[in-house]
Amino acid sequence: MRSASLQMHLAFKLATAALAVAGSVVLLMALTRLIPGDPATVILGSRATPEAVAALNARIGLDKPLIEQVFAFFGRLVSGDLGEDVFNGRPVLGLVLNALPNTAALAIAAMLCAVAIGIPLALLCARWPGGKADRLVAFLSVGFISTPSFVVSVFLLMVFSVHLRWFPVLGAGESGDLGDQLWHLVLPTAALAAGWVGYIARLLRSSLLEILGESHVRTLRAYGVSETKILMKYALKPAILPTLAVLGMGFGELLGGAVFAEVIFNRPGLGSLIYDAIRTRNYPVVQGGVFVIVMLYVLTNLIADLSQSLIDPRERARLTSGRGH
Amino acid sequence: MTFNPTRRQVLVGGASVATIVALGAVHPAFAGADRTKITVRVEKDLSNLDPANRSGPIDLNVIWSVQQGLISFKPGSTEWELDAAEELEQVSDTEIRFKLRGGLAFTGGYGDLTAEDVKFSFERFIKPDAEGKPVTYAKDWSALDRVEVTAPLEGRIILKKPAPALYTIALADGSGRIVSKKAFEALGKDIATKLVGSGPYVLKEWTPREQFVLEINPDYKGPIKAHFHQIVGKPIGEQKTAEIAFKSGEIDFTAIDPENGKSLAALPDASITEIPAIDYVWFGPNIEKAPFDDIRVRQAIRYAVDIDAILQGAYSGLYPRANALLAPSLLGYWKDAPVHARDLEKAQALLTEAGHAGGFKTKLTIEANARYEAIAQIIQANLAEVGIEVEIEALESAAYWALGENDASKDLELSLIKFNGKFDPGFQTQWFTSAQVGQWNWQRWKNPDFDALHEKGGVTVDPAEREKIYIEAQKLLDESAAFIWITHNLNAFASRKWLKPGVLPNGNNWLYTAFTQATA
Repeated sequence: MRSASLQMHLAFKLATAALAVAGSVVLLMALTRLIPGDPATVILGSRATPEAVAALNARIGLDKPLIEQVFAFFGRLVSGDLGEDVFNGRPVLGLVLNALPNTAALAIAAMLCAVAIGIPLALLCARWPGGKADRLVAFLSVGFISTPSFVVSVFLLMVFSVHLRWFPVLGAGESGDLGDQLWHLVLPTAALAAGWVGYIARLLRSSLLEILGESHVRTLRAYGVSETKILMKYALKPAILPTLAVLGMGFGELLGGAVFAEVIFNRPGLGSLIYDAIRTRNYPVVQGGVFVIVMLYVLTNLIADLSQSLIDPRERARLTSGRGH
Repeated sequence: MTFNPTRRQVLVGGASVATIVALGAVHPAFAGADRTKITVRVEKDLSNLDPANRSGPIDLNVIWSVQQGLISFKPGSTEWELDAAEELEQVSDTEIRFKLRGGLAFTGGYGDLTAEDVKFSFERFIKPDAEGKPVTYAKDWSALDRVEVTAPLEGRIILKKPAPALYTIALADGSGRIVSKKAFEALGKDIATKLVGSGPYVLKEWTPREQFVLEINPDYKGPIKAHFHQIVGKPIGEQKTAEIAFKSGEIDFTAIDPENGKSLAALPDASITEIPAIDYVWFGPNIEKAPFDDIRVRQAIRYAVDIDAILQGAYSGLYPRANALLAPSLLGYWKDAPVHARDLEKAQALLTEAGHAGGFKTKLTIEANARYEAIAQIIQANLAEVGIEVEIEALESAAYWALGENDASKDLELSLIKFNGKFDPGFQTQWFTSAQVGQWNWQRWKNPDFDALHEKGGVTVDPAEREKIYIEAQKLLDESAAFIWITHNLNAFASRKWLKPGVLPNGNNWLYTAFTQATA
């Protein structure tokens, strides 16, 4: 019975995830057709006579009704085909798979960096709330959260690439050369992580202070347990739950939001692939790229959701007691 | 809380910092200049390498360096020189004879370049492709009737009508590149991504969205010599990123905004090149719509707008003023074109005469970018002084250019437009013909005399006669008061001091073979 409830919960989550993916792709296809402009004018430029536009649209399948294009997209998807680049016929799947590691590496590195710096800062602030460190972190956090990442990017480039010449400006590094790739990752990671460091530090600090004010913590203090031990052993685990949920969402956002860093650092990632494709109305690439982003977004949220269910004893108890999803 | 680092922590931290600094010092991106290789910035990635279906100058510049034509452009010039052809003779107005050089061979084992390849390459443009569709650049060869092969290395190009523009629009341009018939048949759809040629360079690598690499073709036997062993092209969309990459030493050549020329010129190893362009930027009304159907209103607008203020405000006073369609370096340049000075009194008088003494409301449609927005704001302020209230509509690039489809321009009122120029004046005049209304003639101006002049210019062989025709055509444009010319644009490039770029006069087209080491 308990196992059945857990399975139901999982099935419900998977079904809603699949629905979200399908719904967003259909919505995207409808929206891209609503905005003016098409690849024909981009390819043909001044040679875009009505006949040439019609011929090109027929060649790339844009003359078909939207519903037919939607079904064709999902039909091809079953066999792992995301369509072809309208400009040169390259498979979109290949383009997406080439770009994905660059974006994933950037998003993971930025998130790890944000967590590695944000959590210790939160602990520091919660340990001495209102102290000098707390006030300084609060000031810096607000600064980093409110500064757009492209501003941070340009600043980092000017200092570390132009003046100090420590880090490169362009690209993601030589393929197959891990050291070079890591080297190219440093500045975009810093640019992307900066805001998240502040966000995680502020969010976790609030949760920690809330937990530290609860009666069981007062009891622990009464028993003489050290503040550091209370913080690390008894407060951090429950306090991190809301942060975990935000991280799940945040990782998905980083996948899509990495576009600024990718454009400024000229990284050939998924965000810049979609950005360029939108500008040229390269619909199959937009659809394929967004489909993969949505999939990853939904997947990371699902994982965050399920892991929260497993970490939080109250949620775990609710599920295993068979009280539905 | 105090932080007392242990000795181990200090050593580890210090070593990490030292490693980062040391790695940075030796990183290839910052390595010293290798004068056999240059890295250039291109504004977007390669897209389609089939000359008949290429998608712009970035593709074309690479195609030019890998594939030969019968003729090619001379470096820095709109004139041409022999390339794969040893001899080329205009036998009559409709016949061109050619003789190929011996020993020219395609890369990849696709055999010698023969007259059959020339016939195949040119006739592709007048025949439907495998899917029954015309190729993208079919219009470039619209005058072609057929190519006759008279010997393995000789042939005749037979035209349906005289086409003096054929040399610059097709033969020396991308549409005149000679593809290997064998390679085309073997590669199929891959012809868009694989480049087989007989030219000075080979496309050694194309990693989409990262870089392409051109390397000297060791088997090349033609007359045009390449100077750098390797040319790496990096697609960088953002202008700011390109300038930062140039400052950091990662690229050796990039197009820049002329306004940033001074700051980049201050770098110790940088050189700035400025080349007046052949584009045409103008604004004008849709003359089918009231009140712009009244020429007095159009003349009033021309008197009310301060072009010099636009050049000062939106172009920092760096760009030359345009007074007619054709730029000074083109055949047909109208050097005595009237310079319409601002005269608010005349503007107001014309509006009063046309029954619009109190002005009216209108809309100015522009492509969204900072410069065009600045121009639009100046026009808005200028016209407000004669009572014309202008609303600015800024459209994202693809949406803006979609106005050239489905007769969408019929709803325009005022529009600000920039077209790229080509080396033959007929390319420029074609967009203002009656047949282009509903497509690229957004002013919707129709004039049978202009149409006739355009047609006549297209088949007149004598350059002096052509010059007169195109000047006459520009006079008609001026008389209509539907076109208010702003500038022909200015191209600026930053390069290393030791590098001399090989840019053609339009600024968009580069001959990679003409990039050389600068002499002191």
